[in-house]
Amino acid sequence: MSSHRSNQIHIWFGTTGGIVAVLLLVQFLTGVLLAFYYVPSVDHAHTTVSYVEKVVSSGSWLRSLHHYGSQWLALFAFLHVTRLFWDEAYRYRKAHWIAAVVLLVLVMAAAGTGYSLPWDARAFFSTRVAEGLMNGLPFVGRYARLWLLGGSDISTITLSRFFALHVLLTPFLILAIVAWRVLRVRCWSNLNRNAIAGGLVFVALAIWCLKFPAPLGPPVETATAEYLPRPGAQFLWLYQTLKHVPGAVGSIVGVVVPGLGVAILASLPWLRARRRLIGGVVIAIFAVWVVTMTVAANLSDRRDQRTREQLARQAQQESNWRREPFTAVSLSGPQTSNTGEPPVLYVKFCADCHGQHGEGARRGNVTFPPLLDVPIKPRRYRRAVEKPARLRPATADAVLFRQAVGAADARGCRMDRALETVALSF
Amino acid sequence: MNTDSNVTDRSRRSFLQLLPLGVFAGVFASIGGAAFRFLRPRLAAPSDQWLDVATLAELTGPQPIAKKVLADHVSGWATTREEHNVFVLPAKNNQVLSPICPHEGCEVAWEQARNRFACPCHESYFTADGTRLSGPAPRGLDALPARVQDGKLQVQYRVSDNV
Repeated sequence: MSSHRSNQIHIWFGTTGGIVAVLLLVQFLTGVLLAFYYVPSVDHAHTTVSYVEKVVSSGSWLRSLHHYGSQWLALFAFLHVTRLFWDEAYRYRKAHWIAAVVLLVLVMAAAGTGYSLPWDARAFFSTRVAEGLMNGLPFVGRYARLWLLGGSDISTITLSRFFALHVLLTPFLILAIVAWRVLRVRCWSNLNRNAIAGGLVFVALAIWCLKFPAPLGPPVETATAEYLPRPGAQFLWLYQTLKHVPGAVGSIVGVVVPGLGVAILASLPWLRARRRLIGGVVIAIFAVWVVTMTVAANLSDRRDQRTREQLARQAQQESNWRREPFTAVSLSGPQTSNTGEPPVLYVKFCADCHGQHGEGARRGNVTFPPLLDVPIKPRRYRRAVEKPARLRPATADAVLFRQAVGAADARGCRMDRALETVALSF
Repeated sequence: MNTDSNVTDRSRRSFLQLLPLGVFAGVFASIGGAAFRFLRPRLAAPSDQWLDVATLAELTGPQPIAKKVLADHVSGWATTREEHNVFVLPAKNNQVLSPICPHEGCEVAWEQARNRFACPCHESYFTADGTRLSGPAPRGLDALPARVQDGKLQVQYRVSDNV
């Protein structure tokens, strides 16, 4: 009786492949749909994701499917590896085994790169953490970081990189792995059970996503210093681990050790002896590590009162934000304003020299060029004048003050040609 | 007896092979249904913004006067401010004409020398008051809703659906 039951469990455990297949299908379909609206630029990423969440029909559900689907996928991809290990696939079905291990890595890579894309506060912090992890790598750290960011700092180029990795490179590799795996299989066992399990998981995910929208934090520029970013469920173990290890050791623990573990698992088919033991130890250590740290992360958020309150406040802010109507952003600065009033910051910093309406002026031998209808660059100044609300007040002031002082510094003759032009119209 | 069980076996098997297809079809159908709503184009309501064209004092003479108006367009998550040409007819009680040719939607130009509007795309021509002269255009140039407010001529910019 008991052996019959364990056999039943084993048979259902054998359906992880079907579940992974269905979840991958969901990721592909929802990912393609999200790409119809998403714009990978720091200016517009958050706006377009908000638009999907608030305005587009079914947008919130589809994004939630993509978000939570990625977390479920990581779990089932891991279970799939475990189950294949149990069946000694590394001995009898090598292609099967290697495909499963590589798939797990790719699924985590896709999740890691995808997390940056909404460019909300938590995306920004997760990118920061990825940057730190790369930087701490032994020998190659400096270059790994620069190559990941595409420059010396996190910028819109970084977002483009993550976007390309997330929507072009990893999906292509995943497709290749799945295709290879499908073509190598001669006989499909348990197809129906796999299908039933996959279908049930999809229904559960679909219902879950109707109830819980995917989280979206505030845009990077409005996040306050108190904001507590939390990663997705599949990275909580890494997040919690990094709390316990100092600086550069984090890269060893967070990147090198998992990398070695994966390398050992992938090379199991070629090991001569003790494969069962080595693989079992690696998988067991990972399972215990991930479970312990995930639980610890949840507990520590609950135990500390200030953390708990701040997280509750963030949840409240997010639900308030969801109730606000969507406001479209302006793509081109207004050439004329309907009110006819110059912006407050213009009056404060620029009007003294360039005239009350940016028409330009002359004082003695000093020429202050007109600022109307001049090609505008860089965007930062314009934003500071026209939309100070989108920058922190101190930043808007500082940007313009620097510009005003820079202009006056040009020894009272002419504005230095090297200075960026600030142009306005109102 | 033997053939009988074979037949049920086979029909059972072919039924069971439908199951995986069914699950995939179910996933496709539920996401596909949402995808239809997700991708459905959003039609912007015609703008009811009144845009300043010019002060009445500027609008004199027998010729159509080309003016530019700035209109905000909301498209999805973005608003763009676009400049449009319009033609004011002082001779016709300051009627404002849209420059959009009713044939294929190109923008007509005023030909001073020949006293007519010409469409650069397919050679439609219109008189100085916008009436169709010749060419493939089905009708004259469309007039835009206009009003006078505080000594200024204002217009609502819209493109006819019937281009």
